[in-house]
Amino acid sequence: MTAFLDLFGKTPLTRRRAYWGLALVAPNVLGLLFFFGIPVVLAFRTSLLDWNGIRPPVEIGLGNFEHLLNDPAFWNAFGVTLKLLAVVIPIGMVLSLVVALMLNRKLHGRSFFRVVYFLPVVTSTVAATMAWTWMFQPRYGLIANVLAPIGLQDLNWLTRPDLVLFPIAAVVIWQRLGFDMILFLAGLQAIPRQLYDAARMDGADGIRMFRHITLPLLSPTTFLVLILQVISAIQIFDQVYIMTARTTRGGMNDSATTLSLFLYETAFTNSDLGYSAAIALAMFAITLLLTVAQITLQRRWVYYESGSE
Amino acid sequence: MTKFARPLALVLVAALFFGVTGVTLAQDAPAIAPQACAEPGELTMRVWDENWAAVIQESIDAWVADYCPGAVVTLEVVPWDQYWTLLRTNATSGDLPDVFNVSQDRFFFYAENGAVLDLQPYWDEFGVDTTLWGSGMIDPYRWGEADDLYAAPVNWDTIVVFYNKDMFDAAGVEYPTSAWTWDDFAAASAALTDPANDVYGSAVYSEYQAGYTNFIASTGIPPVVGAGRTECTLDEPRSIEALEFLQGLYAEGYMPSVSVMGGASATDSFNFWLAGRVAMVTNGSWSLPTAIEQATFNWDVVQLPRNPETERTRSIVHSVGYVAAGNSDVPDLAANLILYLVSDEGSAFFANAGGVAPANPAQQQAWVESFGDTTVNIQAFVDALEDSQGVTVFDEIWDAANTELVINIFDLNVSVADAVAQACGFIDAQLAAQ
Repeated sequence: MTAFLDLFGKTPLTRRRAYWGLALVAPNVLGLLFFFGIPVVLAFRTSLLDWNGIRPPVEIGLGNFEHLLNDPAFWNAFGVTLKLLAVVIPIGMVLSLVVALMLNRKLHGRSFFRVVYFLPVVTSTVAATMAWTWMFQPRYGLIANVLAPIGLQDLNWLTRPDLVLFPIAAVVIWQRLGFDMILFLAGLQAIPRQLYDAARMDGADGIRMFRHITLPLLSPTTFLVLILQVISAIQIFDQVYIMTARTTRGGMNDSATTLSLFLYETAFTNSDLGYSAAIALAMFAITLLLTVAQITLQRRWVYYESGSE
Repeated sequence: MTKFARPLALVLVAALFFGVTGVTLAQDAPAIAPQACAEPGELTMRVWDENWAAVIQESIDAWVADYCPGAVVTLEVVPWDQYWTLLRTNATSGDLPDVFNVSQDRFFFYAENGAVLDLQPYWDEFGVDTTLWGSGMIDPYRWGEADDLYAAPVNWDTIVVFYNKDMFDAAGVEYPTSAWTWDDFAAASAALTDPANDVYGSAVYSEYQAGYTNFIASTGIPPVVGAGRTECTLDEPRSIEALEFLQGLYAEGYMPSVSVMGGASATDSFNFWLAGRVAMVTNGSWSLPTAIEQATFNWDVVQLPRNPETERTRSIVHSVGYVAAGNSDVPDLAANLILYLVSDEGSAFFANAGGVAPANPAQQQAWVESFGDTTVNIQAFVDALEDSQGVTVFDEIWDAANTELVINIFDLNVSVADAVAQACGFIDAQLAAQ
């Protein structure tokens, strides 16, 4: 018993402090347990069932996972998600870094611009995506008007399987930009000013300073942004759901059906709850794999100033 | 007395004859009479249409007051967008509302899984002659070996052509009549199209009930899925003929593409019409209140054009249904409420409110009259019932039939043959899976 109590501290005083601490974190821990922990355990359980939600479930072992590996619809959704990842992440990261660099300078109305770039992050995704949907309307939309001089006013952006991912990527990038920009800004401002002063004394120009000071010292931030980008890009859902809702959800021939949308449709249109749980676990595994890979690779390019890593 | 017997008999025969066509029934004997409930209790009820909520509440109050004092009914309104997801979630956890609305295409899922109550024993007990409802209204709600009727039809809606009279006048085109044919329709579409002002002649392909399926139906076959729900009919020559007729109008630029209208639903094409961008659009009686309220031009409605060979004008008819939960604690009470809602007395609330045409034939005239002295030819909706086609599609093939086929043909310019081959491939696989 005392051994157990020792876990909370060696003396009654430190123990009492520990109890207070536990009491204060309890709401969060319990919330996490009930709304996250238990559902995760249930997802594992459900993934082993053939269950439409109404009839009694049937145990089928790993049947859902077997189906998953052989299901062209799953691999299609996986491919769509990878394509979006490949477009959204590089463009999103470069753009947010460029904006952060611009807004890190002494610029008139700097705070105003920072707010403007951050606004999409706090805008309702649904409303913003609807507006973007109108912009991509052929013939009459804003984009069609811009492209009219080169004869591209009649592109059916949202119904053509070869085009549909571009409007979606545009909204995702636009909405994500402000958040990454703030992270980059924080990273930029943490870089000691003396380094630039010293470099300037040595005659370094802007490009050299960017390459040899900014980029390496910003790399922990870049790493963080990358990880967050990957995790959120794997979960892209709302933008696809809304942009394709009025034509055909998930795009023609599922050309815009991401993993999340595939999961949603499996669960709520096809009422295949067991299979949808298996898809959720597969998404978890993919995210985990990509994150672990990044953490492993970071040693090669991320520079921690304190030398702890 | 005998002097009058023969003329009287003739009048009676004539009245019966016209009564059968469904416009009016004898007013003295109610077609469906409500009954007092055996024992009051508590009920939950769910609907999706906010416009109905007030009317339903009124009729529920009347039921409680006159037929079931002491009963407590909790009415919930869940918008269409969330309705089916929530209903499935409730079905999963076994707490469906005691009484709720279903549509014909989604009824199967609940029937298949035993989630809805068989109402046939109650129809027998109450002495309701279910044949008084048109077969298009109730056949999709039959289930099981004995073809029991599981739902009570709330309403009916048929499809007509809404047309902008100002555009007809400007183009010097005569207003259509119920005798017009596909050829007349094509000619009018061409004459009304005005590319300089971005005005299209017609938009009539959108969405299952309001769209291209009506044109297939007028060739004489059930559109999309055959009557026995065993095979896809889209690849049959007559379906292809109808679709190619419509694609021809689209290819000529008389009809806008899905992308230009901004969506594949009947609401999208109807909004396009309301905005004065297209002269003729197909839509259902449910849009009458919107058109009356929002159209800023002169307009009227006319029955769908006739197929030149069959000379038939046919409309897809749909009835929303009331069903009771299979695991309801108070099945008798739920059935009694449903009986009241579809009775002459209960459905009069709908008829007089003017929005929804009640399924109960005794109330049709009241519904037509509820529009007052409008110049709009409301009777066209009733006439469209005469030769109408019930719904044969279901949830799982909705997208394939409704949006993917339509986008392929009317947006991506895929040939009709390829588009129907793709759709039938999917639909047949779904039918085989059932």
